[in-house]
This record gives sequence, structure tokens and C-alpha cells, in this order.
Amino acid sequence: MTGPAKTLRSDTEEPTVVDTTAATATGSGVVLDGVQVVYPTSDGSIEAVRHASGTVSDGRFVSLIGPSGCGKSTLLDVVGGLLATAKGSVSINGETVRGPRRDTAMVFQEDSTLHWRTVLSNVAFGLEIAGVSKKEREARARDVINLVGLAGFEDRHPRELSGGMKQRVAIARALLLDPRILLMDEPFGALDQQTRMFIGRELLRVWDETRKSVLFVTHDIQEAVYLSDEVWVMSARPSTIKSVITVDLDRPRVAGTMADPRFHELTTEVWELLRVESEKALQYRGELP
Amino acid sequence: MTTIGRSRVKSGPAWTHAAQAGLIVGLVALLETATQTGLISPMVLPPPSDIGVRLAEIVPTAAFAQDLTTTVSTVLIAFVVGAILGLALGIGFWRFPFVGAVFEPYLVSMYSMPTLVLYPILLAILGVGAAPIVVIAASMAMIPVALNTMVGLRAINPSLPKLAKSLNCTRVQLYWKILAPAATPLIVPGLVLGFIYAVIGTIAMEFILAPNGVGFRIGYFYRSFDIVDMYAYILVASIIAITANVLLNRLERRIRQDMQ
Ligand SMILES: Nc1ncnc2c1ncn2[C@@H]1O[C@H](COP(=O)(O)OP(=O)(O)O)[C@@H](O)[C@H]1O
Ligand SMILES: [Mg+2]
Repeated sequence: MTGPAKTLRSDTEEPTVVDTTAATATGSGVVLDGVQVVYPTSDGSIEAVRHASGTVSDGRFVSLIGPSGCGKSTLLDVVGGLLATAKGSVSINGETVRGPRRDTAMVFQEDSTLHWRTVLSNVAFGLEIAGVSKKEREARARDVINLVGLAGFEDRHPRELSGGMKQRVAIARALLLDPRILLMDEPFGALDQQTRMFIGRELLRVWDETRKSVLFVTHDIQEAVYLSDEVWVMSARPSTIKSVITVDLDRPRVAGTMADPRFHELTTEVWELLRVESEKALQYRGELP
Repeated sequence: MTTIGRSRVKSGPAWTHAAQAGLIVGLVALLETATQTGLISPMVLPPPSDIGVRLAEIVPTAAFAQDLTTTVSTVLIAFVVGAILGLALGIGFWRFPFVGAVFEPYLVSMYSMPTLVLYPILLAILGVGAAPIVVIAASMAMIPVALNTMVGLRAINPSLPKLAKSLNCTRVQLYWKILAPAATPLIVPGLVLGFIYAVIGTIAMEFILAPNGVGFRIGYFYRSFDIVDMYAYILVASIIAITANVLLNRLERRIRQDMQ
């Protein structure tokens, strides 16, 4: 199917419930197969992603890194069923993604907490939409709130929380849906370096306990290497997934991991790949000669 | 922390209110002296005490009850009609940005345009009576509601609709659980302003072309040189407007508190 990127239907009156247990064994995990995404604009169309292929195997933590504007968010939206491909497809455990699914959950870069709701009610929001009773969803929300370290803040409103805590709320809301695949778009992008490191470690702890597949967009090389099993480096737009770097650092990752010479080698490798692409992107935008 | 903050905030307005009340009392006393001593002619302003006495006589009459009922019900009808149209327009302009871009400057200029001057046209179309008053007052009320609704919806953080979509929200859930509460901090002030415009529009139009109502009485007594009665009704109109404003501001604060 060629043509402009279309927004997938999501405003159907009945939520689509995808039965993930019936998935066939062909290609387990998330498989991106030659994904192309084109945005129609008033003056022509923008080819955001040209050809992206890759597999996020079950339980793996994969980071997606690339120059800004290369299509990372676009690609994540495609996997999350928010955007349609022009060519190629994404399948999850053998099923083609045609819209938002029950087995994926998203965390966005900007604050996506509902400011008129308490932390508890924010975290429980996904289950509320799914029609789970108030009693049950709040009981389950409390467990996840503990897991992400927000215990004691259940009745607070987002305005009383720091940026890092708001992102924890968003992560908790996603986790409560118990997805098999967590899609995170620069979730710590707006946080300062110290908070990022700390909350990144927390994320790994949660991931250790839940073992979900994660597709994690970031522009921070150290963060990508520190967190991931694999780092996918994207090229400048129109983008492809240029290289996949397997991170062979021991888990659990600890504070000392960053002092490991191997960590340094890996970040250097990612940087070399990224540098070329970032230069291209900057030249394209006229910010470099 | 919070308690200290609150108690400070409380003592602030208390003093402000006292000073504001003092200002009114002082002003009335000044006008009383000026009118009693003949410094201000009674044809311009009769002594406030005379106006007060006259007001106390007018209030229990059946005619007053009828005027008040007419004016209040006209305001309410105009507000409800204006608010519904304004909300619908605001949502429409937001949903269809092209239409919004085309209409927005006209809507904004209608803010500054004296809509009231359209009354001869409406008079020709709708005749004398409640209809042209409601039309003018409702269209005045509609403008701030439409603009604030549009701006409020546009200001919503784009990750919220994205969240709604990723959770497979239905359209009803999207509007009621996300868009409406997210835009409320701007929609409510629009409604408050719309209500005030409905009051202004109604009283001003009654002044020109109604057979009864508070605005009509002001004009009627003005034309028959019953200056004391005229001022008594001006006072009534002011009290309606001020009461509405105070109640609505309180409501607005309540809603904002609940929402945030
Ligand atoms: N809705 C849209 N309409 C048109 N172009 C878009 C839209 N969203 C993103 N783009 C363009 O697509 C490219 C990729 O965007 P994005 O996926 O947000 O990049 P990244 O997340 O890697 O920074 C950018 O050039 C951006 O300008
Ligand atoms: Mg992005």
C-alpha cells in the first residue's frame, strides 16, 4: 500500500480488544518490515521514514537513537498503532499492527498526565477506559504506584509533582495496562541529567521485575547504552535503521557499569555512527556548512 | 506550608474587601453631601438617600416583579442560547482549523464592534418584542464563549489526544474525559464573560426597544424626567450585574479548584 500516511482509526465506538494469546508463532516480538512513513503536508509530502526493519525480541530492551527529526517518534507511533505505514508493516507476535493494541502501551515525551486528576486516578486511567471497575483498578493502581516509587503521592495532583514524578505517573499508567511491549518516546527527555540517571536506574529495576519488551527512544547515547540490550542507530531523514549495536554489558547494570571500559567502547561506537548522521542532518537543515 | 499560604491569602482579601466597602460608603457619603448642599443639581443626580427610599418603595410592587422576571429570564435564555452556540462554534473552529482561521478575525472584531447597532435590522426582521433582544444578547454572549473554547481546545497538550488514541478511547471518552476537562480552565472564563455580555446586551436592548424589563424602565423614566426612579432602576441593573459577576467568579474559582 502506497500513499500518504493516514491516521489510523481510533475513534470507533467500541475499543478494539486484541487477543494476544492467539498470536501465531511466526516472528515473535515486534517485527518492523520495510516500514516507510510519509506525511502529507500542504506543500508536498515529507518522507519521514524510508525503510526501517528490525526485530524487538520478547523481553528485550531496545533503544532507538538518531539525529533529531529523523523519524524516531514517527516510528514509535507506527509500532503503537497511531500511524499507518505507506509501505511495509509492523507485526507483533505475527499479527499486523492496524491500530492501538492492548499488548502495547505508550509513554510520551511531553507531560501526558491529566492535571485535573490525582496520581491514583491518573495511573488508573487506562483501566478506566478499558472498563475495569473503580475498586479493582484503584487496587491495582496502588501496586504499580509502589513499584515506580510514588507511594504516598496517590492523592496529589500533577501540579504538585516534579517533572520526573510526572513521568513516573505516565510510566505507571502504561505498566498498569500490563502490556507485553512498552513504547517510550524520550520519556526522560525533559529531565535534568541527574534525574535522568536516577529514574533510568529505576526503570531498569521495574523492567527487571516485569520483563516486558521495551522500545525506548532517546537522543542520549549513554542512556541508550546503559539501559539497553540493543541500540538501533537511525540515519538522517529519510531514515533507515542504519546499524544495530548489541550491548553485551552484564545485567543488572549498576553504577559501576559506566566505568566499565566496554561501556566506553560501546558509547564511542554509537557516537561514531551517530556523528555522521547528525552532521548530515545539520547540513540538511543549514546549521552546518 | 499550605496552611501558612492559605491563611496569608485569607487575610489579604479580607483587608481588600474592607477597603472596597469603605470606598463605596465614602463615595455615597460624598455624593449625599454634594447633592444635599446643591453642589450637584438634583436633575443630574438626586441625593442617594432619596434613591434608596424610592427603591424600597419600588421593590415590593407587582410591576417591579414583572420587570425583574422579564429581564432575568431574557438574560438566562440569551446566555443559554449564546453559550450553546458559542461552544458549538468553538469546537467547530478547532476541529476544522481552516474554517477557524477564516472566521477567527471576524469573531475577534465582533468583540470591538457594537453589536447593539444591528438592532434596526433585527427590528425589521423580527419585529418588536423579546426576539431581537434575545438575538442580540445571545450573539454578544456567544463570542467570548466561542473564542475561549477554541483557544482552550487548541492549547491542549498534543500528547493528550495521542494518549486517548493509544488507549483506544471512544469519541465520547475523548471529549468528556480528556478534552473537556483539559480545556475547562479557559472555557469557564469564556462562559463567565459571556454571561456578563448577556446581561449588558439584554439591559441595553430593553432600554431601546422593550415594552418592559429593568432596562426599559431606566429609559422610560429617563424620558419622563423621573430622575429618582431612573436611578433606582439603574441601581437594580447594577446590582443584577454585580451579583451575577460575583457568583460566576466564585463558581469559576470552584470549578478551577476541582479541576486542577
Ligand atoms: N504530523 C506531521 N506532519 C508533517 N511532518 C511531520 C509530522 N510529524 C513529524 N513530521 C516530520 O517528520 C520528521 C520526523 O519527525 P519525528 O518522528 O518527530 O522525529 P524525531 O522524533 O526523530 O525527532 C521530521 O522532519 C518532522 O518534521
Ligand atoms: Mg521525537
